[in-house]
Amino acid sequence: MKAVTRYFRVVLLGAVLCCLAHEVSAQPRVGVVMTGDVPYYRAIHAAFVTGLEKQAARLGRPEIILQRPFPDSIAWSNAARKLIALDVDLIVTYGAPATRAVLEEKSKIPVVYAGVYDPENGSVVGRNLTGCGFRVPLSSFLRYFKRLRQIDSVAVVFSSLEEGAVRQYRELLTLAGRQGIRVTPVDIRRRRDVTKLRTITDGAVLLTGSALAHMWAGDILAVLEQKKIPAADVFPDDGEEGVLITLFSSPAAQGRKAAHMAARILRGEKIEDVAPEVLRETELVVNLQESSRLGVTVPVQLIVEATRVIR
Amino acid sequence: MRSGPARIRNLSGRLLVWLLIGLFALPAASGRAEKVPGELLIGIEPEHNIFDQVQRYRLLAAYLSDQLGLKVRLTIMSRYGEVLKRFQSRRLDGAFLGSFTGSMGIEEVGLLPVASPVSLKGESTSRGYIFVRRDSGISDVQEMRQKSVALVDPATMEGYLFVLSHLRRHGVQDPASFFSRITFTGSHASAIFAVLDGRAEIGAAKDTVFDKMVAADPSIGRELRVLARSIKVPEVTLCVRKELPAALREKLAAVLLRMEKTSRGKKVLRGFEALRFIKTDRTEFDKIKKMAREARLPETERTPEK
Repeated sequence: MKAVTRYFRVVLLGAVLCCLAHEVSAQPRVGVVMTGDVPYYRAIHAAFVTGLEKQAARLGRPEIILQRPFPDSIAWSNAARKLIALDVDLIVTYGAPATRAVLEEKSKIPVVYAGVYDPENGSVVGRNLTGCGFRVPLSSFLRYFKRLRQIDSVAVVFSSLEEGAVRQYRELLTLAGRQGIRVTPVDIRRRRDVTKLRTITDGAVLLTGSALAHMWAGDILAVLEQKKIPAADVFPDDGEEGVLITLFSSPAAQGRKAAHMAARILRGEKIEDVAPEVLRETELVVNLQESSRLGVTVPVQLIVEATRVIR
Repeated sequence: MRSGPARIRNLSGRLLVWLLIGLFALPAASGRAEKVPGELLIGIEPEHNIFDQVQRYRLLAAYLSDQLGLKVRLTIMSRYGEVLKRFQSRRLDGAFLGSFTGSMGIEEVGLLPVASPVSLKGESTSRGYIFVRRDSGISDVQEMRQKSVALVDPATMEGYLFVLSHLRRHGVQDPASFFSRITFTGSHASAIFAVLDGRAEIGAAKDTVFDKMVAADPSIGRELRVLARSIKVPEVTLCVRKELPAALREKLAAVLLRMEKTSRGKKVLRGFEALRFIKTDRTEFDKIKKMAREARLPETERTPEK
């Protein structure tokens, strides 16, 4: 009799565990790693969450575990390991460094990236990976600078810790070289590197899509404003902190696209059937408040071409 | 009953009224025939850099004023196509028109083509280019489906009509829904910049503007790829309203065609960035009419009232 009771207890416990397991798997868990807690990645994430919530009827309301590490390689790895240990159903990454950190852990969890610059030519590759990257024609920045003033050199703010930003710097170096324009690299690895900008004498400055540079964008732009040097940015200046020209790929569009891809994978589609995409459409914003602060005249034609003008 | 002197006063008053009416009516009636106007108002379609454009045309207007013995005034249209409305409301005597507006003006308003400038490169014609960024992965019409496009204006051959006829020739039934987004940039240069910057994936513009931009900045040529080229048509033609006195029309044509033969004319031509003017015939616009038929433009887009 005792043996029978024990047998039933085991069966009952098994049934309860099965039910619990089913309950847990009914609510997918999505881990998210940002390369840095900067407005661009926050905007991608906001659109991603909204996009995923729209799929709630078919997916259940997913639990989203967000990791916002300080932008350095150890913090990125720790964030990736944490999500792998939590055994989430899917990992979403914003920016190349966070994506690489997850891929280096060699987990079997599928990964969807967003906010990765030119992924087709980068090192963000893997079998269990898809996502939505972007490209911004960097040569356009050189054309804008030339339309603003006579320039023979440009300073490029990037971070050697971030792959996308390094590739943008190198690409600009090649493009500027063809036009006889010198490039001054400004590598931002820590906050005090911002002081490097105090000594530059270039005609204009380009901020690449570096999370580190954008964490201290306010400090960078304050130095540039003092020196009356116009700045352009690959990320939008949503806080209107003082960038004269921004040409960027919409973070909202990338977030929505990533949500759509994530939903397909969470619904059971194979990741290899979800093709990666590169968004090439851009938006051009010209800040006329900043131009008057800097004493720079923006050509009428450039104003006409802008997607948005801040007056 | 009125008295005699009162009747006389009344009669003379009536005569005076009729005399005055006659005095005003006579010149008006003769004006409807072939009155030489006191001034010529010439319209120009907007280019990317209006300031440079005005500067170039101002030199020509001053020269024409001197040679014709009447004031030649310029007015810039706010957009392509507006010029035809102005002709209809009789507020223009002539205009320098692109090939499509010129063709529409000849068809719809009965404009008469006078002369076309020949560029410093020796060209009086232009053609349309359809182009993409080299890294776009777009190489034919099928790959343009559901992509964004930057066009110039619905009243341009190079920046609109050519694209439509090109799509039709490649079997596209509904060009309006073929692209994901259509933007009209208002100038050829802006359409080129839109594609360079990635604000649109496909663009269409005039070859003369495209080639000039590439010559000034070779990086543009390295980044863009021309996928289709239209036939050549007169780039800009001075057209005048048909009511303009024939003598004045002929004098205007003669002055323009003779410019290259005088030293002052040559100087003005240099400032206008042209070698000379050549006579233009309305048959040269037949190619545009054929292209419009091929494009199957909706009726509203064939009239200048759009």
